[in-house]
Amino acid sequence: MRRRRCLGLLVLAGAGLPARTAAAAPVTVRDAFDRAVSFAAPPQRIVTIFASNTEIVAALGLGQRIVGIEAFTRYPPDVLDRPLVGGRLGFSVDAVVARRPDLVIVTPSRQAANQLIDPMERLGIPIIVLLQRTLAEIMANIRLVGRICGVAERGEAVASRLEARMARVREQVGGLPAPSTIMITGRLGNGLLLVAREGSYTGDAIVRAGGRFGLESRGVLAQISPEAVLNADPDVLLFAGSETGLADLIGRPGWLDLGAVRGKRAHAVSRAELLIPGPRTVDGIERLAGLFHPAVSAR
Amino acid sequence: MRAWLALGLALALAIVIAAAAGHEWATPGDLLGALAGDNDLRSRLLFEWRIPRVLAAGLVGALLGLGGTIFQGVFRNPLAEPYLLGSAGGAALGATVALLVPLAAPQSLALPLLAFAGAWGATVLVIGISRVSGAVDAAGLLLAGVAVAAILGALRSFVMLALSDETVSLQIVLSWVLGGVQTPTWSLLGLLALMSAACLGLCLMLAGRLDVLGLGETMAGAFGLDVRRFIAAAVLAGSVVVAVAVAFGGLVAFVGLAAPHIARWLVGPLHRPLVPASALVGAIIVVLADAIARAALPPAEIPLGLVTAIAGGPFFILLLARRLRT
Repeated sequence: MRRRRCLGLLVLAGAGLPARTAAAAPVTVRDAFDRAVSFAAPPQRIVTIFASNTEIVAALGLGQRIVGIEAFTRYPPDVLDRPLVGGRLGFSVDAVVARRPDLVIVTPSRQAANQLIDPMERLGIPIIVLLQRTLAEIMANIRLVGRICGVAERGEAVASRLEARMARVREQVGGLPAPSTIMITGRLGNGLLLVAREGSYTGDAIVRAGGRFGLESRGVLAQISPEAVLNADPDVLLFAGSETGLADLIGRPGWLDLGAVRGKRAHAVSRAELLIPGPRTVDGIERLAGLFHPAVSAR
Repeated sequence: MRAWLALGLALALAIVIAAAAGHEWATPGDLLGALAGDNDLRSRLLFEWRIPRVLAAGLVGALLGLGGTIFQGVFRNPLAEPYLLGSAGGAALGATVALLVPLAAPQSLALPLLAFAGAWGATVLVIGISRVSGAVDAAGLLLAGVAVAAILGALRSFVMLALSDETVSLQIVLSWVLGGVQTPTWSLLGLLALMSAACLGLCLMLAGRLDVLGLGETMAGAFGLDVRRFIAAAVLAGSVVVAVAVAFGGLVAFVGLAAPHIARWLVGPLHRPLVPASALVGAIIVVLADAIARAALPPAEIPLGLVTAIAGGPFFILLLARRLRT
């Protein structure tokens, strides 16, 4: 609870500062696709595609500048009234342009980058692509968006506070034995499971929270057979979703014999915190650390 | 003559409607302003984005109509369609590689090139297999096509499962496979127009011999047509046409099947009028379907192939029923 308030205060603190937009020098940045994008003045009308990018702009206290979001954005509540520019069926160039944005922030997920970079470049609307394969990239994204939007110091402050919180977690869990962990992020109709993998921010979050991967990453497939989980018998089993979803999963034949289930170390964890690469991922890391090392959270 | 006039007018009307359709509908004034070179954002959207896309949709539809006519003519089968001989599977594999594998070339270049190579390569492979097995007739080609399509489909599924992760979603592949016209730059649109004109010429060159083949392979042979050779050549030509369409439009369902039939009702079965008529019908269908795809469910855009099948299917059944009754 304390941690959540911590981020809340951070956002409030950010919002309280006067946005320093006047007389800012032109900024040129390189995005995740190594494209050089220039801004003569800090953008005032931002279309953020994907929840993570919306959350980053909002965490910088710039929620007021967001003029368009996509259908899967659920947070923060005060930007949810903005017009939608896309959803599961992809993104509409028409709808984005109708918002007359001076910055579009996308992530290569779904068809976003593919569908929007080319038209926006042709129409002269600045568009940047952010990648988030690690927590370090998420922190870099926060600083980058801060620089572009003329609030570089605020971006620095938000990112370094989040980094300080992660450093504290590292101190707390450092030296403690890392429990082997499998995080299930989705269930496929045919019974196969999707798991969080190394080389993703979710995997990075598991390691930063003091866990280790319970499955050797063999091969390239993200989907695995439930048998592999039963074989690996991890110390901790995480299910990104609801408690009922977890109960349904571990109620299946064989799962009750897992050490993690018998030892009450099977937990449902928040999808918003661990499957959206934004500032809230740090909340997720702190919560994971508590699950991995109960003694730490008691301290 | 009346049929041609009607087709031409329908195409012109379809293009104007499609250029106006979108998340925000454009008035004729907006369109004229955009064509006159107004420089506000909305005019630039129309001129740089919507109008090239409408024209590209028309050309893709025309190519699908041409491809369908060739394949139906070669196989003398009303169910033949342009993707019959593995070109859909090959194009989809090529596109999947371009979308998911990090390549040195930019995706805007790699995607159409690999889709083209896949579509054409698959058909060449099918012809090669039926040659080696000594069955260069319609049945042999079809069987080889089914086998190659199955193999390519499985390869594509594996590439999709192996290379997708949290950052590279499969939806991008799915959406490509369901069809969607890429918006070309004006110069690329010029290239597409030239290629389409060349494809039309190529198909017109085949028209007379397709009519002869329509009499049956034995009869065509008696008329002096080297049937096996012609079938292979016509299929190769048809697959080039389809590969160009696929490179710019993804896999658009149904148009290649329906357009030649509708054209046949309008201008009759002889291929010299049928070839250009199929192109016109295909163009009209895809221009309108693309407009629906962009405007029906704002802000989303429906994959084009879904629109052509969902909206075009019942329309085609209706036409078919009326046709059979008379």
